[in-house]
Amino acid sequence: MLKMSEYSYIAGMLSVALSIAFYVIAYASVRVASRRTAVAGGAATMDGGTTMQVVAGPSIFASYGTLVAWLAFIFLVASMTFRAIVTGHGPFSNMYEFSIAFATGVIGVYLFFERKYHQQILGLIVLPIALLMLLYAWTIPATADPLVPALQNNLLLSVHVAVAIVAYGTFAVSFAAAVLYLLQAYGVPRLPKAELLDEIGYRAVVIGFPFMTLVIVLGAVWANVAWGRYWGWDPKETASLVTWLIYGAYLHARVVRGWRGNRAAWLLVIGFGATLFTYFGNLFFGGLHSYSGLG
Amino acid sequence: MSELSVPTSTAAQKRQVAPEPQEGTGGGLTISPSDIGERLWRIFTSMRTALILMLILAVLALIGTLVVQAPGGITADSQAYQAWLDSITPKYGGWTGPMDMLGLFSIFSSIWFKGITVLLTTSILACSVNRFKGLWKTAVHPRTKMTPVFYDRAPHSETIDASVATDAALADVTKTFRSHHYRTVVERDGEEIAVYADRFRWAPFGTLMAHISLVMILVGALVGGTWGFNNGDFAVPVGSTVEVGNGTGLAVKATAFNDSYYESGAPSDYAADLVLYKDGQQVAAQTVRVNQPLGYGDINFYQSFFGAATDISVRDASGAALFSQGVPLLYTAQNGTERVGQFLLPEQGLTVIVVSPASGEISEVIRAGQVQVEVYKTGDAAQPIATQVISQGQPVEMAGLTFTFDRERQFTGLIVAKDPGVPFVFGGAILLIVGLFLVFFFPSRRIWTRIVPGPAGSEVRVGATSRHDATFGPDFQKIVGEMKSSLVGTRGI
Ligand code: HEM
Repeated sequence: MLKMSEYSYIAGMLSVALSIAFYVIAYASVRVASRRTAVAGGAATMDGGTTMQVVAGPSIFASYGTLVAWLAFIFLVASMTFRAIVTGHGPFSNMYEFSIAFATGVIGVYLFFERKYHQQILGLIVLPIALLMLLYAWTIPATADPLVPALQNNLLLSVHVAVAIVAYGTFAVSFAAAVLYLLQAYGVPRLPKAELLDEIGYRAVVIGFPFMTLVIVLGAVWANVAWGRYWGWDPKETASLVTWLIYGAYLHARVVRGWRGNRAAWLLVIGFGATLFTYFGNLFFGGLHSYSGLG
Repeated sequence: MSELSVPTSTAAQKRQVAPEPQEGTGGGLTISPSDIGERLWRIFTSMRTALILMLILAVLALIGTLVVQAPGGITADSQAYQAWLDSITPKYGGWTGPMDMLGLFSIFSSIWFKGITVLLTTSILACSVNRFKGLWKTAVHPRTKMTPVFYDRAPHSETIDASVATDAALADVTKTFRSHHYRTVVERDGEEIAVYADRFRWAPFGTLMAHISLVMILVGALVGGTWGFNNGDFAVPVGSTVEVGNGTGLAVKATAFNDSYYESGAPSDYAADLVLYKDGQQVAAQTVRVNQPLGYGDINFYQSFFGAATDISVRDASGAALFSQGVPLLYTAQNGTERVGQFLLPEQGLTVIVVSPASGEISEVIRAGQVQVEVYKTGDAAQPIATQVISQGQPVEMAGLTFTFDRERQFTGLIVAKDPGVPFVFGGAILLIVGLFLVFFFPSRRIWTRIVPGPAGSEVRVGATSRHDATFGPDFQKIVGEMKSSLVGTRGI
């Protein structure tokens, strides 16, 4: 079973890579096509905010990319399921498990947004993040260690982590939208409309923020059960609070004059930086969470 | 959220139509003293203020993760604190002094952190008060009729030339709204019919709920900090009874401790058998594990750590027992090669320190079955009055007293916690989450319709402002599309 989990993980990783390759081809061929159609006088069909899927012909690669991303998602879910059957708990006992979960969450949330907005160009940023996560997992021994006592509160932790990966996934998508938004200033061709990117970034945080709140609250419940205090300013907790505050600030920034647009987009970029800091925090600081080996 | 007003610029039209009463405009240059109150109110109810306070708080918290924080309680003991500062000086060098002055080593109890939290709380309360009336009015007494100008300028606006008379159009419009689960309010004014439709009109109170719940959580933290305690290094040697203190009248006896391990050597379980006494009477007994605390009233005992203890007994010259208990070796010294415990002999004014090699360490001075006992005058840690290595079971004379090292034991390390703020904190947390899900997943919607007689029968104008709810646009189009097909469609196809 562990072997099957590992093979699924590898298959998932390869699929993500393949999906990125398709997206790159799709993006490149749209550029070529647009030049050609422009020459042919057909540019008018691609209204200002052309995106890959708008162009019928070459975007077949974009659909392949999405299809393979779905495949990757399924492989990774399978991998986590196999592993959970063996270990009897959710993916939270070490960074290997959690990184795969993180990547799965990122891909899952991306696909959710892809279905809704059809902006595969987001995948060009989101999927490499997932791929890096999976490659990072590669560097960590995949052994299934039994749980230390503090982690034996299974249900609470499984939910805590499941909610966390959704939150992190949405933050990755909002990050991608914000990066594309900011790239607009640099004349990068074939970007979706600014308003659309702004909207996607916001939509993602609207899902992510309540989930992130839930992550922190569940963590507090767990800490209260295990240590008799719901909050101890341990660096991991604090980092998640920093993340939460940044996204909270973002939600207000969107309705404050002078903060909409670019500054709000920067908050999304910084917010995702804080998310990664929270996730990788253990590598920088100790704290109670370090004995969970978990991000 | 004020009642809707008409947009004045296309820039405003892009995002939202309602002006932001929350935003301090910082307009006028002249300030009269009587304005100061109003100015403060403006500042505290401004979302820009909220935004900036949140970001400052984030930066302070970030510093708290990047800069080493002093262990809790150590700041109260200036000597220990200085020693701690010295220990981190190699890391921060000449910055140590200034950083200490700025409170960076205890950022979460610093004036900065507390000050910003107080400002943010004030701001949250001000905003909530500020918004309540508007929210209430919008939900209960919404403005139902809009002027034609509104439809000219609303970001979502559509005009339908209906082929039916106004009353038939009204029936169609109402039906369409109903089928989309909107509530409708109809107002007639001569020939003109105004239809106001809304959905999830209570959901905006979720924002209010979320903000108030933040205050509730902070109140809970304050209550806990004032009336609670958390003793994180409460060590009970097996066989000994230790007073809880803090005015609880409780004492804990550990009757057994077991630590078990996986084959890999990783710990699998820690379990301590505890008996709890209140004023000498047994009131509870339980095996306490990680995640399985013993609760008595609002006081909880958590298994946290464990280690070695030594049973020491002390007699005076007449042979009367002064002390006979396990001494937990709670501290480490000499780079972790030694474990150290301490107890007091209050009547003699002595502090006794017990030193043993850490497990796995071999000491030239203290051999297996031995401990080193150091006797100090309480309050004078500079020079021991007497120091001696003593072997198990062999009484030794020191400082006029007889010390015996009876045996090695384990101690169980407990966290003893009482936090009367917890109900507020978790109550607030639940409200916060419910509030957030309400705001975000049940977006409130409001659509106005104006029906007047028109050339083909009637003219139906539909309009809505959108806050920053992106899903509204498509929904609006769908509803209007359905209206169109029923109002005009009859002859079309
Ligand atoms: C840690 C502090 C705070 C958090 C976590 C927080 C969180 C939120 C959230 C999640 C929303 C919903 C956003 C939306 O509807 O798009 C919101 C909206 C709002 N917040 Fe806060 N908030 C905080 C502090 C404040 C403060 C201090 C103020 C007052 C200056 C304030 C004023 C508002 C207002 C007026 C809205 C409504 C915006 C709208 O209707 O679109 N918030 N806040």
